[in-house]
Amino acid sequence: MTSTVPRRELLAYLIGTGVAGTILVGPYVLRIVAGELFVPGRVLPMVPVVTLPLVWGVWNVLWARRQPVAGVAAWGAILGLLLACFVNLGLAVRGVWFRHAIAMIVFLPLVYWLLWGFVVGPLNEALGVEGQRSPPVRR
Amino acid sequence: MTTLEMIRRGTPDPPHDLWPRLRAQLEAQDDVVRLHVPPIGWSGVAALATAAATLLLVPDPLAFLITSGIL
Repeated sequence: MTSTVPRRELLAYLIGTGVAGTILVGPYVLRIVAGELFVPGRVLPMVPVVTLPLVWGVWNVLWARRQPVAGVAAWGAILGLLLACFVNLGLAVRGVWFRHAIAMIVFLPLVYWLLWGFVVGPLNEALGVEGQRSPPVRR
Repeated sequence: MTTLEMIRRGTPDPPHDLWPRLRAQLEAQDDVVRLHVPPIGWSGVAALATAAATLLLVPDPLAFLITSGIL
């Protein structure tokens, strides 16, 4: 079986998943270290960050496919905003929402703006993801 | 002079020796990816400062970072 995938979109997916997968070092390693150092004995909650690479990959494919007018950093910030709203909603549904979680709506878009502008964007550019829209795949 | 002869005279001979071209292409390609990271600028500094300030303002930065998926 052979399937045809535009190279740009495949690269976009791999860049998105690769960067987000690298960031997972934070939740899986630094969190444990920080927990042991600053709040030993405290049970720290685990949010489903394992899905983050998939979301980032798909979001970068959408970027490659649509090439929106907004820059790649702004595109990342939109994802950050969506995720912040989603996390707040999830916390509220589970009844564990806390007042300062609302600050995530400012914090996460800013962090994502930085990560997408200074990491994902340059990788997209270097590997040829930036540019024109992907042509439709002929089957 | 016939039309065909005029066309033949006007068109240069195709390059039969492709090796110089191939060699040039191979030399142009290298295994290095050049990353052009944009300068951080005032907007980047402002974003960093605001994110850091948010962490200073929230009462429990650790829980905040964990729920944000950063930590």
